[in-house]
Amino acid sequence: MIDTEKIIVPGELIWEKEVREPNTEVVNGKTYATVLGMLREDRFIPLELVYKPKVGDNVIGIVTDVRHSGYSVDLNLAYDGFINSKFTRVSFRKADIIYGKIKFVDEVGGVDITDAKRLPTGKLMKVPASKVPRIIGKKSSMLNLIRDGSGCTIFVGNNGYIWIGGKGNLPLVLRTIKLIIEKAHTRGLTDTIAAYLRSQGANVKVPTAEERGGEQSQGFEEGPHQDAPREKSEEKEKELDIEEM
Amino acid sequence: MGKMPGIVLFKDGKRLDGRGPHDLRKLHIEAGVLEEADGSAYVEWGGNKIIVGVYGPRECIPKHFSDPYKAILKVRYVMSPFASADDHGRSGPNRRSIEISKVLKEAFEHVVLTNQFPRTQIEVYIEVLQAEGGTRVASLTAAAVALADAGIPMRDIISAVAVGKIDGTLVVDLGKNEDNFGESDVPIAITHRDKEIVLLQMDGLLTKEQLEEDIQAAIDASEQVYQEQARALKNSYEKGERGKLKM
Repeated sequence: MIDTEKIIVPGELIWEKEVREPNTEVVNGKTYATVLGMLREDRFIPLELVYKPKVGDNVIGIVTDVRHSGYSVDLNLAYDGFINSKFTRVSFRKADIIYGKIKFVDEVGGVDITDAKRLPTGKLMKVPASKVPRIIGKKSSMLNLIRDGSGCTIFVGNNGYIWIGGKGNLPLVLRTIKLIIEKAHTRGLTDTIAAYLRSQGANVKVPTAEERGGEQSQGFEEGPHQDAPREKSEEKEKELDIEEM
Repeated sequence: MGKMPGIVLFKDGKRLDGRGPHDLRKLHIEAGVLEEADGSAYVEWGGNKIIVGVYGPRECIPKHFSDPYKAILKVRYVMSPFASADDHGRSGPNRRSIEISKVLKEAFEHVVLTNQFPRTQIEVYIEVLQAEGGTRVASLTAAAVALADAGIPMRDIISAVAVGKIDGTLVVDLGKNEDNFGESDVPIAITHRDKEIVLLQMDGLLTKEQLEEDIQAAIDASEQVYQEQARALKNSYEKGERGKLKM
């Protein structure tokens, strides 16, 4: 029996009081869900979600068009994002995979990207946007676990695109991410994944509670994943750039 | 519609298939059945078998249909050529299915929070594989589950059920014969929380009092439908095995 939480369907009552949280709606002083989600430690966590771009999100995209003024980028959204040539010194070609940050979102959902970098050849996969926080984990504990276990370089975009590269065990990464998605709503996910990686012959250390920031529940924070993982990613990126040349 | 001489639909408090006047046919819903769709659902309701796929919000095509303030909904209900004993010809849209697509779309426009996704479209594809009366309410019920499965924000879940009159008796959830040879058929869709009526059509004749009684019966019956919808949505998670994955 897998330990799961209370699942809430759209329109179902979450709290009797007024709580302003994303993916909920307040009607007559009571808070109702608007998407399928679950209640954990008095927080409403969506299980199915359409990705909505936010300023500051890290995203992975595919260059779909090269124009004088900039580049159109497929971001797994209804409409392509845009990189203005003014704000990038790197030039891209069509079908390049880029990793960047959302600079601006206009009122009709148009997205401007900044700090775009080209990612070398690798595997691009698509995951549901609601599972991205789980794949990253609290203070990127989960991501580091997969990185250590497989030896791959992994970039995760908030938009649901994941890029996997480097000389590591790629099939193991794909299997692990699939497992995380399947078990995203269960408790003790980091331990489950660590056990899985170990059973597959990977040598991983489970981060202790202190390393995860003294939080009992693992992998359920939307987390400031920009801070910790970015430094590490940038290091690895430098390595990779050299490798490619 | 119309009473056929010599056909008895209701006798000794029982209907043709042995149900009482307020009993529903066997209802089973499953969520997340399609790999490629953003959300999907499959419903078996009596002899009805319907599959629904939801895509989006995605780029609005053609572009001049798009609304800068909200997403537009596109609902496509079609019946397969082999759906029932009657000849349905080719499976493309016809007069009847265009009408059903329109009323279902208008029902969902009441609950889907379209203003969160400007200038996009949300597509709902409904395929009736097998029909046995009440496909529009079964389609609506399944489409509500598919939209929730796609993660599209909604105010509420819509549950629908048909009510009507056979041999002078008010009944719930009409089957094919009751629909064709009964006196009246009233499909009703109700939002669960506020009990708002988002779809009401009437075929045949009812008095004002009978209609009021029918609506109350539909509200009661829609609760059972809602329970099955919620069960279908929760079930896939509570089993602990789920994941839509595209590689």
